[in-house]
Amino acid sequence: MGRKFYASISVVVLLFLVVPLVVHDTFYLRVITEAIMWIGLAVTWDVLAGYTGYLNFGHGAFFGIGAYTTAILMVHKGWPFFAASIAGGAMAGLGALIAGIPTLRLRGAYFAIATWALARAIQQLALILDITGGPDGMRLPPFLQPGFFFYVMGGTVLIIFIVFWYLFEVHPFGLKVKAIRENEDGAMAMGLNPARIKIKVFIISAVPTGIIGGIYAYWITYIDPSSTLGDLVTDQAVVMAVFGGLGTLIGPAIGALIISTFKTYFWAYLSDYQVLYLIILGGLIALSVVFMPDGLWGTVYGKIQNARLAGSKEKR
Amino acid sequence: MGHPVLNVQSVTMAFGGLRAVDDVSFDVKPGEIVGLIGPNGAGKTTLFNVISGYLKPTQGRIFFHGDDITGKPPYDLAKIGIGRTFQIVKPFAGLSVLENVMVAVLLKHPSKKNAEANAHAVLEFTGLLDKAHMPASSLTLPGRKRLEIAKALALEPSLLLLDEVMAGLNPTEVKETTGLIQQVRDRGVTVLLIEHNMRVIMSLSHRVIVLNYGEKIAEGSPKEVAENPLVIKAYLGEEMAV
Amino acid sequence: MLQLLPQAIVDGILIGGIYITVAIGFSLAYGVMHVIDFAVGEWIMLGAFMGFYLNRWLGLEPILLFPVIFLSFFVVGLWIQPLIHRVLSGRRGNPVLMGLVFTFGLALMIRGIALTVFGFYSHSIPSSLAQGSLFFQVGPIFVTIPLIRLTGLGYAVLVTMGLYYILHRTDFGLAVRALAQHKEAAGLMGVNARRTGGHVYGLYTGISATTGALIGCIFSISAQMGPDYTIFAFFVVVLAGMGYLPGVPWAAFLLGFVQSFFLIYLSPSYTMLAVFAALYLILLISPKGIFGKGV
Ligand SMILES: Nc1ncnc2c1ncn2[C@@H]1O[C@H](COP(=O)(O)OP(=O)(O)O)[C@@H](O)[C@H]1O
Ligand SMILES: [Mg+2]
Repeated sequence: MGRKFYASISVVVLLFLVVPLVVHDTFYLRVITEAIMWIGLAVTWDVLAGYTGYLNFGHGAFFGIGAYTTAILMVHKGWPFFAASIAGGAMAGLGALIAGIPTLRLRGAYFAIATWALARAIQQLALILDITGGPDGMRLPPFLQPGFFFYVMGGTVLIIFIVFWYLFEVHPFGLKVKAIRENEDGAMAMGLNPARIKIKVFIISAVPTGIIGGIYAYWITYIDPSSTLGDLVTDQAVVMAVFGGLGTLIGPAIGALIISTFKTYFWAYLSDYQVLYLIILGGLIALSVVFMPDGLWGTVYGKIQNARLAGSKEKR
Repeated sequence: MGHPVLNVQSVTMAFGGLRAVDDVSFDVKPGEIVGLIGPNGAGKTTLFNVISGYLKPTQGRIFFHGDDITGKPPYDLAKIGIGRTFQIVKPFAGLSVLENVMVAVLLKHPSKKNAEANAHAVLEFTGLLDKAHMPASSLTLPGRKRLEIAKALALEPSLLLLDEVMAGLNPTEVKETTGLIQQVRDRGVTVLLIEHNMRVIMSLSHRVIVLNYGEKIAEGSPKEVAENPLVIKAYLGEEMAV
Repeated sequence: MLQLLPQAIVDGILIGGIYITVAIGFSLAYGVMHVIDFAVGEWIMLGAFMGFYLNRWLGLEPILLFPVIFLSFFVVGLWIQPLIHRVLSGRRGNPVLMGLVFTFGLALMIRGIALTVFGFYSHSIPSSLAQGSLFFQVGPIFVTIPLIRLTGLGYAVLVTMGLYYILHRTDFGLAVRALAQHKEAAGLMGVNARRTGGHVYGLYTGISATTGALIGCIFSISAQMGPDYTIFAFFVVVLAGMGYLPGVPWAAFLLGFVQSFFLIYLSPSYTMLAVFAALYLILLISPKGIFGKGV
C-alpha cells in the first residue's frame, strides 16, 4: 500500500503542477478549478456520511459560513486572504460544534433534519443581517489570477485528501470512527464516547468545507445568499458522493469529477433549462440509491474484487 | 484497600411496571469468580447493563473499588476497568477480527504499533490468531463469542462481566473457554459470570448468586446454592444442563 | 398593542390547524416506515397545483376537489412506497441511510419537475369561501375570522378524527399500530408490512396533497413552496416526538402561535429564525419531543 500510495500522490502532484502551464485557456482552467472544488466538497461531505452514517443535509451552510466569514473579514476588517479563509474554516468548525452537540447524540434522522434546517436558518440570517449585505450579497476585492486560484484550491483539496486518508485509514482514530459506525453499543463498551467522536468527525468535515468556501468567495469575488447559501451546494455534494460511492475517499472524488464535468457541458448547452438540472440531480440520487447502493466506485471495485477472487480460484 | 471490586447496593431497574431487577445487593471481592444464575428473563443481563452503565438504575447505587459509579456512561466505566461481553454479540462486522480487538486495545495502548502487538497477543491468548485478518462478519457463533471475550480482555479490565459466553458452544469449546476464564482470573482479573451451564458454574465459581424474577433468592458456594430449595423450585420446569 | 392579542391567539389557532394536516400524515408515515420523507413539502406543493389547475379548468369550488386530489395522491403514494420499501430492505450499503438519501433525491426531482412544468410564479386558488369573514367586537377589541381559515381548521379536525378512527377502530388501524410498535412481531401476527406500509404512505401523500390545495386557498402557492412546509412538518414532528401522533396537534398549535405572534408583534422575517431557534432548543433539551414519547 505504502509505496503505491506515495507514487500515486507524486503523479497527482506533478500533473497538478503542470496543468496551468499546459492549459492556457482561462475557461478550462476555471472548469478544472471548479471540478477540484467539488471533489473537496464531496469528500468532506462523505467523511461524515460514509464514516459515521450521519447525513449532513446542510453541507452548503458550512461552505457559506466559510465564504461569508472570509468576505466579511477581508472587506470590513482588511484581513489578508489566507488568514481570512482559515478563519472561515474555524467558523465553520464552530458551527459544526454548535449544531452537532444536540443532534449527534440522536439517531441519524434528527441530524439530517437539523442540518437541513440549519442551512435554511443561516440563509435567512444572511438575508436579514447588515454585515452580510442582505439579499444583495457582498463583493470582495477582485484578484483576477486564475492560476493562483487553481493552485490554492488544488493544494487545499490535495491536503484535505491526504489528511483525511491519514486520519481515517492510517491513524487509530479512523478505526474508532468505524467501530462506532459498525456498532455503537459495542463501541461504548470499548471505552469510546460516540457523541464526542462523531462531533470530532463533523468538525473535521466542516473546517475544510469552510476553507473551500473562503477560497471560492475570493475567487468568484461575489457572494450572495441565494447562490452561496442555497441548496445547490448541498444537493450537488450529496449527489456526487452517493453516485460515486459512500464510505470511501475515492468514490466521492470520482463522482465529483464526473458530475462536475457533466455540469459544465450541461450549462454550456442547456443553460435555458436550468431546472432540468435539479431533475437530473434528484433522479441521479434516487436511481443510484435504488439500483447502485454502493455507488459507482463501490460497484466497480466490488466487481473487480469478485473477478480477482474468481481468477485466483480458477488457478487453484 | 479493603474495598470489594464491585459493590451493588439495593439496585432496582424498572421498565414501566416490570421490575426486571428488584432490590438486588451483593459484593464481588478481588480475584473472585462469581457466578450469576437464574432462569431466562430473571434479569441477569439487565443487571449487567446497569453495572456497565448501559442503563441507569431506577434505585440503588453501585460502587467500583469503593467509588460510586452509578449512572456513569459505559465508555467511562470501560476506561476505569470494567470490561463486558454481550449475550447478543456486538462485533464490528465490517472490520477484521484483528481490527475489532485493536479498537479495544487502543484504550490502554494509544499508539498504533503497541496496539497491534498487544492485539496479536490477545488473539493468540484467545485462540483467534489464525482468523486475525478475516472480517468479523465471517465468524461462526463460537468465533463471535470468543471475539467478545477477546475484546473485553483487550481492555485490560480489573472486572470482567461475561454474559453467557458458552451458550451455543460444543463441549470441547466449553472446556477451552472454561480454561480461558480460569487463566484470566489467574492473571488477577475479577470475574462476574452469567452462565446457564451448571457444570461450568460449579467448576469455575467461588460463589454463586441466584436471581429469579429480578430478585436475589440465594447466594453462597456452588454446593449450597445447588441444594437450596428455593433455587430448585425456581428452576423447576427449566432444563438444567448438568 | 394589547388589543391585538386576541387576534394573535385566534390566528395562531387557525394557522396551527393547517400545520396539523401538514404534519400528521408525515408523522404517521415515519412511525410506520421509520424513514423521514424529505418530500413532504413537495407532496403539499403538487397537491396545491393539482387543486389550482382543476379549479381553473373545471371552475369547481376547490374544497369539493379534495376527494379527487386525495385519491390521486393516495395512488401516487401506493406507487412510490414499494421503491422506498425496496431501498430500506436492501442488504448492501446502509439501508436506513439510503432511505433518507432516496427521499432527499425524490424531493429534489419533484421540485425540479414542478419548476419546469409550473414555472416560478406564485398563484392562489380562488375559493368562494375566501370572501367571507366573521367579525367579533368587544369594546376596543375585535377579532376577524376569515371563513376559509375556519374551514381549514375544520378540515384539520376532520382529518385528525378520521385518522383516530382508522387507527383505533379498524383492522387496518390495528395492523398499522402493530407495525409501528414492532415490525417483526407484526409480521408474525400476519400483518403484511408491505401492503400496510403502502396504504399508510398513500394516506400520508393524500393528506399532504389536500393540505396543499387548502394552503392554496388561504395563502399562495408556487413550485418553490415545498421546503418551507417540509421545515414546518419537521418542526411539528420533532416537537411532538417523532412518530407520536397525539402530540402533533399541540405542537402544530404552538408553531401557529409562534408564527402569528411574530407576524403581529415582530418582523415576519424573523419568524423562520424563531422556528429554527425553537427547533434547536427542543433538540438540545428534550430531543424525544415535549411529550417524551417519540421513537
Ligand atoms: N430495555 C428493556 N425494556 C423493557 N423490558 C426489558 C428491557 N430489557 C429487559 N427487559 C425485560 O426484563 C426482563 C429481564 O430480562 P433479562 O435481563 O434479559 O433476563 P436474563 O438475562 O436473565 O434472561 C425480561 O422480562 C425482559 O423482557
Ligand atoms: Mg440474558
